[in-house]
Amino acid sequence: MKLNVIKQRYFWWLLSALTVIISLLAMIVSYLQFEAPLRPSLDFVGGTRLQLELDCSIPQNCDEPIAISEVQEILEAQGLPDARAQVFGENETGLSIRAQTLDVEERSELQDALEANFGQFDPTTIQIDTVGPTIGEELFTSGILALLVSFFGIIVYISIRFQLDYAIFAILALFHDALITAGVFSILGLVAMVEVDSLFLVALLTIIGFSVNDTVVIYDRIRETGQQEPEASIAKVVDDAVNQTLTRSINTTLTTILPLLAILLFGGETLKEFALALIIGFLLGAYSSIFLASTLLAWWRERQETTQQKPFSEQV
Amino acid sequence: MQQQRTAIALIFVLLIGALVVLTQLSVPLGLDLRGGAQLTIQVQTTEEITDITQDRLESVKRVIQNRVDGLGVSEPIVQTVGGDRISVQLPGVSDPAQAERVLGGTAQLEFRAQKEGTDQEFQEKFLTRDQLEAQLEELRENSEENQAEIEETLEELDQVNQEILDLFEPAALTGSQLEQARAQPAQAGNNWQVQIRFDQEGGSKFAELTRNIAGTGRGLGIFLDDELVSAPTVSSQYADRGITGGSATISGGFTVQEAEDLAIQLRGGSLPLPVEIVENRTVGATLGQESIQRSIYASLSGLILVLVFMGVYYRLPGLIADLALSIYALLTFAAYVLVGVTLTLPGIAGFILSIGMAVDANVLIFERTREELRAGKTLYRAVEGGFYRAFSSILDSNVTTLIACAALFWLGSGLVRGFAVTLAIGVLISLFTALTCTRTFLLFAVLGFPTIRKKPELFCPNLAVQK
Repeated sequence: MKLNVIKQRYFWWLLSALTVIISLLAMIVSYLQFEAPLRPSLDFVGGTRLQLELDCSIPQNCDEPIAISEVQEILEAQGLPDARAQVFGENETGLSIRAQTLDVEERSELQDALEANFGQFDPTTIQIDTVGPTIGEELFTSGILALLVSFFGIIVYISIRFQLDYAIFAILALFHDALITAGVFSILGLVAMVEVDSLFLVALLTIIGFSVNDTVVIYDRIRETGQQEPEASIAKVVDDAVNQTLTRSINTTLTTILPLLAILLFGGETLKEFALALIIGFLLGAYSSIFLASTLLAWWRERQETTQQKPFSEQV
Repeated sequence: MQQQRTAIALIFVLLIGALVVLTQLSVPLGLDLRGGAQLTIQVQTTEEITDITQDRLESVKRVIQNRVDGLGVSEPIVQTVGGDRISVQLPGVSDPAQAERVLGGTAQLEFRAQKEGTDQEFQEKFLTRDQLEAQLEELRENSEENQAEIEETLEELDQVNQEILDLFEPAALTGSQLEQARAQPAQAGNNWQVQIRFDQEGGSKFAELTRNIAGTGRGLGIFLDDELVSAPTVSSQYADRGITGGSATISGGFTVQEAEDLAIQLRGGSLPLPVEIVENRTVGATLGQESIQRSIYASLSGLILVLVFMGVYYRLPGLIADLALSIYALLTFAAYVLVGVTLTLPGIAGFILSIGMAVDANVLIFERTREELRAGKTLYRAVEGGFYRAFSSILDSNVTTLIACAALFWLGSGLVRGFAVTLAIGVLISLFTALTCTRTFLLFAVLGFPTIRKKPELFCPNLAVQK
């Protein structure tokens, strides 16, 4: 297999541009609906999530599934008409409620009311998440700050090891990967109620690390090939470098994604979306290194050469 | 060859060390895996105290620590976070609601003597308060219809409570002089009460307080957070010396639960500053176990898939890489134990990802080795060349990941930090195993076994040497 990335570069650029635009559109729609580009979990906006499961070791306790309409009635009686309830589990004996921030009295009252109606809940399966709005905001800002600082660190490192224009295109590719991953989750938030939590921020940061990784390996090869064949055009150098590292790109992406696929299929509930975000991001990372970072670099260098040569040709 | 033998000896020693560490110590599991409650308590400023100094934060932490001890949870962790927060971890806690009530409550206990000539006013206010409380209970039965009225009643109640407080002299005795507090059943009815004992100074203050009001008909106001709990009168027989011995009971029609919570709060002392619980993450024990089991199975099956792939695709070097990866996994786990990493779900994810990084280094090296072989180099030179040429790629790509880890660790909060530490440890050890273990084993195989040296197809199938 031999890729001709330089020749097809306009196709890849168009494809990426379209995907980026779709992602941005999804985020705008999402912003109009939730006032956030992605459907935020309570990690970011604050609130209480209460998850309970009926204790099935008590006879007859689990005979009837939990009726969502009854839950809604209880919620309204407790003065929580905005709360959202969801039933889960094979026999619909699990209940998850998401509400505004409840203090301990309000929460106990709600729990008592639910127990009075549906039967005993198993205390070892209870899950409570209460996050104050300020904490959520802090999590978000500290995450974004960490993102910006790592961008800066990566730009500085690549500029030192390579050159500034290499660094800028690596960051551009990385933006592309993060943006589209976020776009996919924005769409998932709109159509499948998928929420993003602080683990999603972690996922984005990891994707950035891997995206740069891939780009750096190809850059390394471009630099080496360029040194070996100083006469060759930058387009040819980039094409060769991409093809020489192609097997590595595919194999590495494959071996990294294999364990993630295992988590997506068999892992615990909380890690599934995390794994999905990473799979999307890593695929994009491999794609953008091959088709964007390298071709953009070639295009930029070509342009620079022609603009530098121009004065000469004008003089003649 | 001597060099390889030394390196193998070193790896062997490290492995033994890792095994010893792993058998002697265990990785502490995060609350998301073992179940338990994690509470973040925000310390607040008041009108008088407008800044939270390190000292004040420490004293709040001490009080919280005392209260946590009162809960009887094994291995609790209480830490200050940033400049104004305290994080409390309660593994395996069975009643998270009790923990929240006890830790978040202020429980400022005060004993005040009633002011002279306020008898009638006190009776009236006390009656009003009773009425308001009864009214509130009634309204709450249909809480969504009576929302506005409930709020109104609550406001009135607040006002009456404040007025009652004004009828008493400023506190002569506070909970800080308390030595012991425990719940016990009241003599009559199903109610519970809290028995308290003062220290010596508190005891004499209590005697003075009771002597002053004995036989006057004025009450001894027991206030909890500025709210009257009870106002017993002291009979005239104590007019000489007051109630001595430093013991008293607080009765206020408590349930068992209320009496116990109050006792814990009083024992823990009163907080120098008000606090609020701003975050609570509780995971049931079963849920934790389930997620750890599933995640471990998933990681193992993922790892096995990777090992199989490496062996099938890269042949002998792939198998050697598998050996190196297994060593990597052992060393990394031992490092987690030594550094004291608490294993959480994101931590497991970080570990799995670092396996990806470790594999990547091997892939880079083997691809290079194959290129060298195709270019017609001998096996030994190809292996050496492969390592030499892959090195800068491996270094650059790992350093960028480490930069991201550093940013995450520096700026991130608990969860994010744990991820950054596990990933960074993984990346560093993967650099070591790829550049040392894989290299040593490969060179050992190539140099030590002449049969292998004659079969470069073990390294690269369908090898067609280019010109």
